[in-house]
Amino acid sequence: MFSFRKKYNKVNLLKYSRFDIVLCVILAIVMLSIIIPFINVIAVSFTSQQEYLQSSVLIFPKKPTLRNYYDLFKDGRILIGYRTTIIILLIGLPLNLILTTSFAYGLSRKGFPGRKLIFYLVLFTMIFNGGVIPMYMLIKELKLTNTIWSVILAYGINTFYMIIMRNYFSTLPESLIESAKLDGAGEWKILFSIILPLSMPIIATITLFYSVDRWNEWYYSMIFIRNANLQPLQLILRNIVIDSQVRAQAASSGAILEEYKFTNGLKMCAVIVTMLPVMCIFPFLQKYFVKGVLIGAIKS
Amino acid sequence: MSRIQNLAREIWKNRMVYTLLLPGLIWYIIFAYGPMGGLTLAFKTYKASKGIWGSPWCGFQNYVYVFRDPAFLASVWKTLYINIGRVLAGFCAPIILALMINEIPFNRYKKIIQTVATFPQFLSWVVVSSIMINFFSYNGPVNFILSLLANKTVNFLGNEKIFIPMLYVTEIWKTTGWYAIIYLAAIAGINPEQYEAARIDGVTRIQNIFYITLPNIMPTISIMLILTIGNLMSAGFDQVFNLSNAAVRDVSEILDMYIYRITFQSAPDFSFSTAVSLFRAVINMVLLLMADRIAKLLGGEGLIG
Repeated sequence: MFSFRKKYNKVNLLKYSRFDIVLCVILAIVMLSIIIPFINVIAVSFTSQQEYLQSSVLIFPKKPTLRNYYDLFKDGRILIGYRTTIIILLIGLPLNLILTTSFAYGLSRKGFPGRKLIFYLVLFTMIFNGGVIPMYMLIKELKLTNTIWSVILAYGINTFYMIIMRNYFSTLPESLIESAKLDGAGEWKILFSIILPLSMPIIATITLFYSVDRWNEWYYSMIFIRNANLQPLQLILRNIVIDSQVRAQAASSGAILEEYKFTNGLKMCAVIVTMLPVMCIFPFLQKYFVKGVLIGAIKS
Repeated sequence: MSRIQNLAREIWKNRMVYTLLLPGLIWYIIFAYGPMGGLTLAFKTYKASKGIWGSPWCGFQNYVYVFRDPAFLASVWKTLYINIGRVLAGFCAPIILALMINEIPFNRYKKIIQTVATFPQFLSWVVVSSIMINFFSYNGPVNFILSLLANKTVNFLGNEKIFIPMLYVTEIWKTTGWYAIIYLAAIAGINPEQYEAARIDGVTRIQNIFYITLPNIMPTISIMLILTIGNLMSAGFDQVFNLSNAAVRDVSEILDMYIYRITFQSAPDFSFSTAVSLFRAVINMVLLLMADRIAKLLGGEGLIG
């Protein structure tokens, strides 16, 4: 496919037509429209409040300052957020992976009684779910509100990811398992020494997806956790940026003293600190995310 | 007798499979089916002292109240209105982007675009909203350019007329690149001989797109469409909830925000909220099944079965 693509391009090399040029320009504009908002966030985060109010900061502040970052970490809430999110990630991610991998592998095996039933039970949860209210009632009945366990347990298996994984396991040749059995390997040995090592690409991809989901989690914690010391990063960012925005707009004179604690620069610092980990790892791992899509696309 | 014995033998033979399925199954039963049991509350009058199971039944009484609430009906229409627009915008944009990226002759450039364009999808709506609120604020770059060109500023996110288009813009900004990757994956799977044959026939590139590429990714398009239509009632909460503010409350209260408001912001009536939740879940299911049926009727691939 790709070698053909290259040939196809070489043939047309002389015709790098207006078409190509227009295309490249359009896509460059698309890229800029994605990048510029980020650059602006970075610029504002290094801008003092006085400069921000005097003139618009576009790409680079005239007098860059680290003051906002200093204030943000002195406020300390963002660190609480980091702590909670990392704890949720450390406990929740292994849970996600164990549940999803074992369930997906189980479902990928053929010919055990009840396979169809279990599959339809799972499929039904994709079509029909009660939404957040019944979930909230359940968490309350389980007495998990105001603990991070609520957030960790409520997101155990993502059925989409599970099915992607199951499809991958299904593509592994059955003969592999059969021949290992002939060699006297037990079922567990087959799983741990043949299936899992062969499935590292999909496991890596699903790990990434779950990590991002855990990192970005805010909704369940907003509903289940009222304790400010247990709020994850995204929720704290929400409190810093969006709530103060809402309140500032509600009191249109904007004279509430508390709002001034969060200058725009400070808010943008919080944005950057929140997305920094994703931003740092993403360029290196992007191909694994894409791989997940490719594997998922094979079935459908 | 022997059938039961056979079954028992089969189950014992597969005991490892069941062991593997068990933890996940327990999770599904508690956290996916457990809440469904809670949905019975829609037909009960919730008494905190008696819990979900002990509360008395009341038939469709809750629904009488639900359908009498003008805010509920309004939120249903707003959800449909906002999400249909989103389907049109957020659904077409990735296809166009994928087709454009695919036509680019420089592989390096292609990769850079893909990396840049997919990135926003991996940020939460909390982060994206913060970025957008900054970008479109009075002191932000957009208003700066507007003030230079037209000598005026616009309150983009605080204006009822512009807010819904802003939802489309931000949705496209966040998701287009990622969904384009899905289509690019489908395009990569097209048999190159088709292009080879077309090249010999002297077909132009535009014709290539319409007669080879697009028809070949039709199955993917139909699946994505099913998923989007299936989400017409439930999509958008994260986005609208984080982008909206008091000034646009009247246009932005979609069904999920209505549910959130009646449950967590005023004196909660859990039976009432649950009734609305159940309504939403049923409509969602009907939409999804309908979309699936239509896709199959049109000769595309369905999602289920």
